[in-house]
Amino acid sequence: MSDTMTTTMTETIATEGVTDALNAAAVERVSLGEPEWLRERRAEAWAVYERTPMPTTKLEEWRYTDLRTKLDLDGLRLSESETAPDDPAAWPARLRETMEADHEASGHIVCIDSHVVHTDIDASLAEQGVILDSLHDALESHPELVQEHLGAVVPAEDGKFEALNAALWNDGIFLYVPANVKLDLPIRVTRWLSEPGTAYFSRVLIVADRHSQVSYVDEVVSDDFADPSFKSSAVEVVARDGAVVQYVTLQRVGRGTFVQSAQRTLAERDARIDTLNVGLGASVHRVDLNARLLGPGANSEMLGLYFGDGSQHFDFNTSQDHIEPNTGSDLLYKGALDGKSRAVFRGVIRVHPGAQRTDAYQTNRNLLLSPGARADSLPNLEIEADDVKCSHGATVGELDSEAKFYLMSRGLSRTQAERLVVLGFLGEVLSRLPLGGVVEKVVGVIEEKLSQHG
Amino acid sequence: MSDAPVLRVEGLEARVAEEDLPILRGVDLAIGKGEIHAIMGPNGSGKSTLAKVIAGHPGYEATSGSVAFKGENLLELEPDERSQAGVFLAFQYPVEIPGVSIANFLRTAVQAHLPEGEELDIFDFTDMLTERMEMLEMDPAFAERHVNDGFSGGEKKRNEILQMAVLKPKLAVMDETDSGLDIDALKIVASGVNKLAEEDPEMSVLLITHYQRLLDYIKPDFVHVMVDGRIVRSGGPEVALELEAEGYKTFEEAGAAS
Repeated sequence: MSDTMTTTMTETIATEGVTDALNAAAVERVSLGEPEWLRERRAEAWAVYERTPMPTTKLEEWRYTDLRTKLDLDGLRLSESETAPDDPAAWPARLRETMEADHEASGHIVCIDSHVVHTDIDASLAEQGVILDSLHDALESHPELVQEHLGAVVPAEDGKFEALNAALWNDGIFLYVPANVKLDLPIRVTRWLSEPGTAYFSRVLIVADRHSQVSYVDEVVSDDFADPSFKSSAVEVVARDGAVVQYVTLQRVGRGTFVQSAQRTLAERDARIDTLNVGLGASVHRVDLNARLLGPGANSEMLGLYFGDGSQHFDFNTSQDHIEPNTGSDLLYKGALDGKSRAVFRGVIRVHPGAQRTDAYQTNRNLLLSPGARADSLPNLEIEADDVKCSHGATVGELDSEAKFYLMSRGLSRTQAERLVVLGFLGEVLSRLPLGGVVEKVVGVIEEKLSQHG
Repeated sequence: MSDAPVLRVEGLEARVAEEDLPILRGVDLAIGKGEIHAIMGPNGSGKSTLAKVIAGHPGYEATSGSVAFKGENLLELEPDERSQAGVFLAFQYPVEIPGVSIANFLRTAVQAHLPEGEELDIFDFTDMLTERMEMLEMDPAFAERHVNDGFSGGEKKRNEILQMAVLKPKLAVMDETDSGLDIDALKIVASGVNKLAEEDPEMSVLLITHYQRLLDYIKPDFVHVMVDGRIVRSGGPEVALELEAEGYKTFEEAGAAS
């Protein structure tokens, strides 16, 4: 009797998340023509996916994001679109406008749905060995570089979504900067999603070799979708000794999409990796970000900015792992929430044994613009070394009516007063990583959202 | 001053919004063009409430009486409309606005004071701000600091005077501008107000203060004593001296008797 029950339960778990579209056959299809090692990896990842239960709110890390109500995997199909021509005239107007609003860049990638449709890189940088390519092309041109890192930074074993992504990813970006090469201008990636009801799986792999320097900005845009969609990404960033990397992601997809992003950064000796996650669009936006300070002297600044309205739901799950001595990390996530939107921030600083003289900070601040909005902030420390400086703090506050009156008493309308207070509040994040083009875009979207604030 | 008063307050009663707590219990006050008035009173007399009701603070509501500014019913206007009409309140406790530079804030404020459809020229604004800061002997770098964020008491009050200098009001209400200032800071702030009053002889000023010492540096034409939500005595500068000699006690007794 008890044996039967156990068997039944195992079967239930084993099939969780396996659907008409997301299944072993799909993994087989996406593997066609790929090198053997990658086909094996995908198969292994799928096995992990099958045996990993769907996260529930019983898990601390998913306590406030109920996947049963927020994500319907059964309703999703895989992207079916053909690749678009490498010709801006053939691209959707909004995609073109998004790119036109950008400042200069060292190189570009344009993705439409599941395809990389355009790649360019400054010729002199290419000569110095900088590689910017789709993962598929890089697999052929630089197999050893890709194989060394792909899936090693964010492995399938990390969790249900990491496994699903590792099994089914169908587009990806590879950026490699050789030792001592410094890019003055950022690499800009623009993505456009056009298929409602679709599950997208993409990966980013960035490797910055010793003492190189690069900024990477990844923006995703779409219209609102009536049929729920799912965008999954895995982001792997490696900075070798003394390298400096800035990774920025700007999420501006329409309502109807669940955006899930698993990111890990590995900073080796004296390397610096700064990240900025901006969440403005989507129905649900979940980020799992793990910064690992792997070498002495490594540093990471971790920035986040979000503005929710309507019934948007943001969930940021961050961790700062200090593994070697003399490492630093400084996290600042700030968000404004209007309407009935909601944000969850859960962050942990882990100082591993032996990581003496760690400097680690973590701050999350939320500004509620309406009585229906809500923010939950759960900062945490796990310290296993004794000579460290760590602090964490979280606040949830309302728009200060005294501040509003102060500004209005100088002639500013209610809307202008709110705009100034909110932009001032969020501006602290942007001022820490003031990349040209990003600030203007973020401010533009926030102003648009504020103008709809009742 | 034969002109009609710039500000006319009649029978004004006001209370803390949504609370049955009357604070002003029938205030009458007329301020003519270019006049400097001082309202003195003990703590809790209602003098700061009067300042806030004139500026339109949402935490207070007028329950009776009227406030007319240049003949217009102020009580019907939003705080921003009052500012645009020419009313300025120097706050007792200026509010910190993190992340917003003084220059950006003032540019938005000056733009808001322009007639609809008129665009502020950024270069004209910058010139004007520089000139105003020079007049007040302020370091130009001050404009790049965030509004009142981490300011000392003196810096906050000087920032109020800078805003007043930029917005050039017709009526400036100074709510306990002297509070929390040492004598040097007080002199600097008072000299700013005097310069602005000299520059625009038509500007009217209402000083709200607990102490005589502010009036050593800004000379009022009229002094009123407020006790328990009413003005119980009005007169010339001599009233302030009487107060200093006798304290508020005599007036409080007079207020209680009336």
